[in-house]
Amino acid sequence: MWLKFRASSVKEFLLLLRDRAGLAMLFVMPMALILIMTLLQDSTFKVLEEKRMTVLVLNHDADTFGINIVDGLKQSPVFDVVEQLEGKPFDEEQLKQQVMDGNFSIGIVIRENASRALRNKIKLGIQEQFPVEEGPIFDMDSTDAADTAKVRLYFDPITKSVFRQNIISALRRFSAAVEAKMLFSVYAELFYDLLDIQLKPTGKLQNLVVFEQEYASTAENRIVPNAVQHNVPAWTVFAMFFMVIPLAGNLIKERQSGVAMRLKTMPGSAQAVIFGKGTVYFVVGILQAVFMLMIGFYVLPLFGMYSLRLDNITLPALILIIMATSLAATGYGIVIGTIATSQEQSSIFGSISVVILAALGGVWVPTFMMPEFMLTVSKLSPLNWGLNGFYDIFLRNARVPEVMPYALSLLVFFVLCLLVSRFYIRFKESFL
Amino acid sequence: MDKEAFIRIKGLTKRYKNTVEPAVDGLDLNINKGEIFGLLGPNGAGKTTTLSILCNQIPATSGKVVISGLLLKTHNRELKKIIGVVPQEIALFEKLTAYENLRFFGNMYGLRGSELKSRILDCMRYFGLEGKADKKIETFSGGMKRRVNLIAGILHKPEVLFLDEPTVGIDVQSKTVIVDFLKQLNKEGATILYTSHHMDEAEHLCTHIAIIDKGKIITNGKPAELIKSEENCDTLEDIFLKLTGRKLRD
Ligand SMILES: Nc1ncnc2c1ncn2[C@@H]1O[C@H](COP(=O)(O)OP(=O)(O)OP(=O)(O)O)[C@@H](O)[C@H]1O
Ligand SMILES: [Mg+2]
Repeated sequence: MWLKFRASSVKEFLLLLRDRAGLAMLFVMPMALILIMTLLQDSTFKVLEEKRMTVLVLNHDADTFGINIVDGLKQSPVFDVVEQLEGKPFDEEQLKQQVMDGNFSIGIVIRENASRALRNKIKLGIQEQFPVEEGPIFDMDSTDAADTAKVRLYFDPITKSVFRQNIISALRRFSAAVEAKMLFSVYAELFYDLLDIQLKPTGKLQNLVVFEQEYASTAENRIVPNAVQHNVPAWTVFAMFFMVIPLAGNLIKERQSGVAMRLKTMPGSAQAVIFGKGTVYFVVGILQAVFMLMIGFYVLPLFGMYSLRLDNITLPALILIIMATSLAATGYGIVIGTIATSQEQSSIFGSISVVILAALGGVWVPTFMMPEFMLTVSKLSPLNWGLNGFYDIFLRNARVPEVMPYALSLLVFFVLCLLVSRFYIRFKESFL
Repeated sequence: MDKEAFIRIKGLTKRYKNTVEPAVDGLDLNINKGEIFGLLGPNGAGKTTTLSILCNQIPATSGKVVISGLLLKTHNRELKKIIGVVPQEIALFEKLTAYENLRFFGNMYGLRGSELKSRILDCMRYFGLEGKADKKIETFSGGMKRRVNLIAGILHKPEVLFLDEPTVGIDVQSKTVIVDFLKQLNKEGATILYTSHHMDEAEHLCTHIAIIDKGKIITNGKPAELIKSEENCDTLEDIFLKLTGRKLRD
């Protein structure tokens, strides 16, 4: 049995090796697809990522308010703060020009004495809380009282309103924090003046409310990959399923040339041959996956893309998904090769069906961009199971138990393909 | 015929699904060990169908086949090892070389290593294919392909050899080599059942022939005796035409 199995594998391997078109389809086409699609889609995916906004900031208030606002912007993950132009300070006129020229979508100017004005407003407010008979508690002149803390924003007219809302709400948040802080310090000052009690500053008054961010989607856990994280596994799965064309083609050629009939006259050969064939394509599928991942890891960075991150992933989970996907693809090839009656039929049906299953499965348009209905339909495609397995591994560091459902589905698909093929052969043989 | 015949075929019938006329219709045939048996008949007579049943490619509808004392239906595993088959069509891998093809089929019969290699090279030399071992089958001429097709069926030195029109579409030289080879194989003990449309070839090669038409045997015996027994017939071809008529077949 071993000898026959080995002979069949060698024969299948040689046949594939001499099939230039088949090899190109399995290795060159997906490589090109990965490169082209990743480069094309990179910008699209980038918009989807939370893009950082660059803001030009001119702070005339070197005091609590100004400093805190600028710090708040700097610490936010959403904003990149620029305070100098080509290493030089600038004035408001230049800032306005920069925004008008479209170099920055937002310019922020914090006015002189903003902190003092704010402090005075607070003091004024406190003063009003005391009975008039008490007389002035703080000393300040009336000109100070009229002053207001001001922040002026310049927007490039094409700035999307979402971004405007973003920056305004961020600024409100920061200034509310500064106001609270200043209110606290004015009270502390007052307590000290009136009662001689020294209040200790506390940081505990910040972030009293925690906002938990959830994506409002009924689809459980839509994960949003970047262009590399999507395209590399997507075209890998696609390419692996494209093995149906050489695999089914060889199966049909074997039948048409009479080799299959000849094998039936040889002891125990038919099984050895199909087993050998399956094994070769299974291994080829794994090689394809390794090859594509290498493209993602080594080649994409050369084109200025991210590299596919492989440092944090669970290797056994990755191996499991690769093997399961390869098995499913092999099974699909066998069933197509069994049912199709000619090579033309198998390559047309094989390629079209794989393209459709790929489209459904989220290879062309990722599932997270799909409408709810399609999302359900996409679950029917074995390519989707493989792709989701890869997503989970690359984006969530999923481990073996977490990708097991996908692996098992692929495995069941493989077994089903074999059963259908077997059943179909029986059915066909009943006509002999 | 005697009950000890090496190949015993009794009431063999094959009716393909969705067809009216049976392709093989109650065939009775006994073939003794060491014979070269010629199965002759016009197109569509049922020759290929009969051979396909004998070599396990398709099941019979009814009837019984016993080869070497083993019932075909129940002992096909054992029988496959002692049977060699040379199909009517070229059943080879076009993209593999002659050597790779033959090594593959040799392996399928459990042959391996240097023994297999020398056997392949010997056969190729015998059939004038020396130096062609590493050429792909697709580059071969029809006659060369037919010779490789034949070698693939005899590498394991079968006790019984079934050949379906091994000499169709080849030149006189190739035909002579093949005929000589079959005689040689037969001398070494192989029982051979072969089909052909070449009456003169069958007349000279076969120890026994049967003419079948529409799935039934119409005559059966030693070539010389048949010619003697039929009036106005000097050759097998005369008998053939007399018995099967001049009407064209499908
Ligand atoms: N797979 C099949 N399904 C249905 N009918 C078949 C099938 N194969 C053969 N036949 C029919 O069975 C009959 C016998 O065919 P077979 O191939 O055995 O003839 P043959 O004697 O080998 O002819 P030839 O000399 O042309 O090779 C023919 O009528 C043919 O049409
Ligand atoms: Mg025939």
